[in-house]
Amino acid sequence: MTRNAQRPGARVAASKGMAFTKSPVLAVRLPDWRSRLVLFVLFAAFAALGIRAVWLQGVSTQFLQKQGKSRYERTLELPATRGRILDRNGAVLASSLPVRAVWAIPEDVLNSPPEKISALARLLDLPEADLRKKLDSDRTFVYLKRQVEMPIIAEIEKLKIDGIDTRKEYKRFYPQGEVMTHLVGFTNVEDKGQEGMELQHQKTLMGVPGSRRVIKDRLGHIAEDLGMFREPHQGRDLTLSVDSKLQYIAFTSIKNAVEKFEAKAGAAVVLDVHTGEVLALANYPTYNPNDRSKLTGEQLRNRVITDTFEPGSTIKPITIALGLETGRIKPDTVFDNNPGYMTVTGKRIRDTHNYGVQTVSGIIQKSSNIGAVKVAQMIPQQEMWEMYTKLGFGQAPRYGFPGAAAGRVRPWKTWKPIEYANMAFGHGLSVSLLQMARSYMIFARNGDIIPLSFLKVEEEPVGQQIISAKTAAQVRTMMESVVGPEGTASKAQVAGYRIGGKTGTAEKIVNGRYSRTNNIGYFAGIGPMSNPRFVIAVMVDDPRGALRTGGSVAAPTAADLFANALRAANVPPDSSITDIIIPENPLEESM
Amino acid sequence: MSFKVNALLAALLVGCALSVVNARYQARHLLIELERLQQHARQLDIDWAQLQLDQSTLGKNERIEEIARTNLEMSRLTPARTQYLTDGGQ
Repeated sequence: MTRNAQRPGARVAASKGMAFTKSPVLAVRLPDWRSRLVLFVLFAAFAALGIRAVWLQGVSTQFLQKQGKSRYERTLELPATRGRILDRNGAVLASSLPVRAVWAIPEDVLNSPPEKISALARLLDLPEADLRKKLDSDRTFVYLKRQVEMPIIAEIEKLKIDGIDTRKEYKRFYPQGEVMTHLVGFTNVEDKGQEGMELQHQKTLMGVPGSRRVIKDRLGHIAEDLGMFREPHQGRDLTLSVDSKLQYIAFTSIKNAVEKFEAKAGAAVVLDVHTGEVLALANYPTYNPNDRSKLTGEQLRNRVITDTFEPGSTIKPITIALGLETGRIKPDTVFDNNPGYMTVTGKRIRDTHNYGVQTVSGIIQKSSNIGAVKVAQMIPQQEMWEMYTKLGFGQAPRYGFPGAAAGRVRPWKTWKPIEYANMAFGHGLSVSLLQMARSYMIFARNGDIIPLSFLKVEEEPVGQQIISAKTAAQVRTMMESVVGPEGTASKAQVAGYRIGGKTGTAEKIVNGRYSRTNNIGYFAGIGPMSNPRFVIAVMVDDPRGALRTGGSVAAPTAADLFANALRAANVPPDSSITDIIIPENPLEESM
Repeated sequence: MSFKVNALLAALLVGCALSVVNARYQARHLLIELERLQQHARQLDIDWAQLQLDQSTLGKNERIEEIARTNLEMSRLTPARTQYLTDGGQ
């Protein structure tokens, strides 16, 4: 510090006439470096502040702002529910409701009184030992039970156990249960579709939760909305083509049939002739989608769509239709089917009875194998293969259903004469029940075929003409004669309605060979004949009772189904016959 | 003159400031109210879904048939005992 210059007003030592501050005694000689040091230190301190300010403001602003926000901003989850599944009339088939998952911090829970833990075990419907086993864990997060319904959650919260908390999630409910489950399918605990339509339409049904940013005040009220972070997407509802009432009717018919005929399984499908909608699809045995703890593969199997089988005699109308369509035969063309068997390249093909001389109509009515083979032999193999292909046999189906089977039709060039003969009555190729039902559309609809749909159809689809309307009408007449006292499906007669159809019995393949005792019985039919409304196909797998053929197990099941379905759909009766005459020894079709 | 203008502007400023405070207060209240109502709407949605589910469960064909058969002693309609009336009457 430099010496002070003399200032006016400075105190003056009176005696020596000299300023006090200038007294040489007081003059302190300080080294120059000290003042410079102080100046430097001060400057350095300011510089440090400046740098810090620049650092905070410039370099780490984002980090700091984020930290600040995290102290007052909150992200709120915006829930999104999975879409519902509805039937064609709007009845709920699947719906998600909020439930809670109960989780625990094991260490904290184990410190609470034992009576509270046993109360918790009771509420969660778990044996206390199991609960304790779950809690005996080093982890800090353990799910105790998932998808617990709200009333139970309220009880659990009343217990006020430390370390128990809940997490929001959704549970899928299926009010129609076992009746509808093969169609609707189910979701897993993560709300993901696993089977049926739940799986097929996972993307549209699924909801995507969103989130938004808010500022919360001390009391937890939202003070300011900072806008949407991520928009939530609610799952879209799905309206199926299925009719709950018809589905129930189909299910009961199949269930009764399986029990009555001591069968291994049964299946039925009902199609709308005009729109191609699947109105009902029933399987038995079945399972309850709301409780799948004891689920077996046998119950899960969808025999209508994912199983294929040899169609047996149900294919004969197609063979005959192609013959009629190409002008090779007429309904009254006569075939001599004596003596009830024939040989094709050394292999014998038999009928159950010797039908003698038959017309084409008779071949269908009595289900003569020989007749069908004789008609097929007039048709080149390639034409037959093209017919099968046009009907969708052996083609990957596009129904929009997971796991739909394509069936199997080998290329026509590889068919040996005996194989071709077998195909004429439905052996050596395989189709699904749904494919079979769809192919009957050509008879129900004046010769064209339309795509099938599992979703409600708003507009009638445009068909692809396969055979002429005339041929379709001729085959329809033959089919109606099958469902008469003289035909193989006399048990398919329905009081009040005219029904047409064709029975079929296929031998099951057991250990690689056709079994004489294990059959599958079919019936595929159209009704009412005056103005076809439904195509119904029924399958009864391995009946072990006294009755085993398609005509005696599948036909009466189909009759029951037709009668109730037509009545339920308010279709006016087209027949005045109200008393059904079933012959004492009804005709059985050949296999 | 200039003093008067200043005083007027100062008064206006204070007025504006107060109205801002009031607006913020109102906004916050409305927001809380909105939040509460949205919560309510969500709850109603859940209730609605629950009720539809209940309707579907209670309206199950199986249950209706069971009740009709056992409690009400009804039986299925057959064409044999049905009189059909057709339009135009014959």
